[in-house]
Amino acid sequence: MASYIFRRILIGFLQAAGITLVVFFVIRARPADPVARLVGFNSTPDVYNQAKASLGLDRTTAEQLGDFVGTDGSGVITGDLGTSWVTGSSVTSEIITTLPITLQLVVLSFVVAMAIAVPIGVATAKRPGGKLDKSVFGYGLFAGAQPEFWWALMFTFFFYFKLGIAPAPLGVLDPLMIPPEKVTGFILIDSLLTGRIDAFFNALWHLWLPIMTLAFILSGPIIKMTRQSMARVLSSEFILYSRASGISRKQIARSTLRASLPPVLTLTGILFGFMLGGAVLIEQVFSLNGLGSYSVRAVLNLDYPAIQGTVLVITIISLLVYLILDLILVFTDPRVKAQ
Amino acid sequence: MTTETAQALNVFKTKRWYQDQLLLAGVIIVGTAIFLSVFGYMIAPFDPGTPVGPISQPPSREFWFGTDASGLDVFSRVITAPRIDVTLSVSAALLSGAIGTLIGLGTGFYEGRFSSLVMRISDVLQAFPIFILAMVLVALTGRNLVNLIFALTFLYTPIFVRLTRTEVLTQKTRTYVEAARATGNSEWKIALKHVLPNSLTPSLIQLSVTVGFGILLTAGLSFIGAGVRPPTPEWGLMIATSAPRLILGEWWSSLFPGIAVSLTVFGFASLGNALERRVGNQ
Repeated sequence: MASYIFRRILIGFLQAAGITLVVFFVIRARPADPVARLVGFNSTPDVYNQAKASLGLDRTTAEQLGDFVGTDGSGVITGDLGTSWVTGSSVTSEIITTLPITLQLVVLSFVVAMAIAVPIGVATAKRPGGKLDKSVFGYGLFAGAQPEFWWALMFTFFFYFKLGIAPAPLGVLDPLMIPPEKVTGFILIDSLLTGRIDAFFNALWHLWLPIMTLAFILSGPIIKMTRQSMARVLSSEFILYSRASGISRKQIARSTLRASLPPVLTLTGILFGFMLGGAVLIEQVFSLNGLGSYSVRAVLNLDYPAIQGTVLVITIISLLVYLILDLILVFTDPRVKAQ
Repeated sequence: MTTETAQALNVFKTKRWYQDQLLLAGVIIVGTAIFLSVFGYMIAPFDPGTPVGPISQPPSREFWFGTDASGLDVFSRVITAPRIDVTLSVSAALLSGAIGTLIGLGTGFYEGRFSSLVMRISDVLQAFPIFILAMVLVALTGRNLVNLIFALTFLYTPIFVRLTRTEVLTQKTRTYVEAARATGNSEWKIALKHVLPNSLTPSLIQLSVTVGFGILLTAGLSFIGAGVRPPTPEWGLMIATSAPRLILGEWWSSLFPGIAVSLTVFGFASLGNALERRVGNQ
């Protein structure tokens, strides 16, 4: 068991290093000119070269890589992702402030999506081919691949502009609301910790529309997978055997659900990684200043340190989620326990 | 043509295939999208790139979908946009399908160190949130069509590698491969002429789904300003430029391009799904 976890962490580590290296070299091999973007295209060669030197771009790629990794004592290995070329502040600290906003949004959306999708998936699996099953199947197929940014806009138009039951899409809190003191960076947790109940409800008020949009998209594939997996388990021999042995319906339902969860959890892991990127568009629409919006600014400004940093952090998080889900699957598998 | 691929294509020869609502919807939507990507410019009532009337007009008899903030006809732009969205995604899907299938065939047929290295690389690529990588690739290579196609191709190739490889691994243990070998066929001939055609089905089904996701990605990239440049008629870009007008009550200039994306992606997804189900049933 320990060796399995160790191997997984090692592979994950190599994958993260691989992605970071790919991005490091790809952005440097490209025709884009970040220096010109910073100092303007009409600057004198002197100014240009000065800027180039101050960004460290005058050195060889190998030297730049050493600097990034931290051969001089401060770099990725010490948790220092460099200094943003655009804002001049530390990329690590900028990611620490933006990441909780994205994580909070994505995690809550998953909770809502699972709470809706799993019961529906289970209900349809009980009567395959029925009317409910057919319409839910259509919904799953439809919601699974949709332009979330457009739905976000339409929901905003309808719920904010037409009905007035959602706030203007202008950030995590009302513009005049004083944000709660920072403890964890997660605004919902911080407002509770510091006793700011008003900020807590205000943050929820601002979150419900983005969460609903993401949950709408996410519920599609989750419903589909739950239904498929449940149907497969229901028709399996061990359920037939349980029925034949006269085990209560409640217990059968419980073991069916349990046996059909693994594929659903695996899918959730894949979707989570996907959503860390997908949240970019939702953050843009609702002006949430999360990691997604940060990565868009980094890419559009050709801010190399910020690009490298966000790519590394997002990769590590998605790999961690895969790892945790795999461990849950392994630990809850009775066959593993028996060994 | 060998059995399984033939089955996939035979879907359309079976009696009353059009009674499968999902397949029918898929065929109609995909057909329309492809038709518009070829003939959209010819049947558009106005030039999609030049202002044709008063700005921000709601839908009327003259301007079916209204006009946007620059006075461009929204209807003409919606039906000419497939020239970018659909063509681009179809090209990227076909390219990544061709490359991925060949790599998958190679790595599946000749297992070894190189083959497992390729699989690790495609694992790495798949572990990464696609949208961010696409954004990085396109923004840094320059925002033009060719780069967009290359970026999408790069991102979608690993799926086809995996699908084909899995299939090749089971196919190559079949007796017909042994028979081909016994009758003196060369290894690469066995791989290309016998194993490949029998391993195509999963990739063929995946193609349709990939086109749908390609359209979503293209529209998303344009929406954040990392895709095609204005005033190119492209759905994501149209939604992006009209988004600020929504709070002025101008809903038509973002509603219609959005419906177009939504329906088109759904069409490609249903086609893929219906094909998968039918092949599975046979």
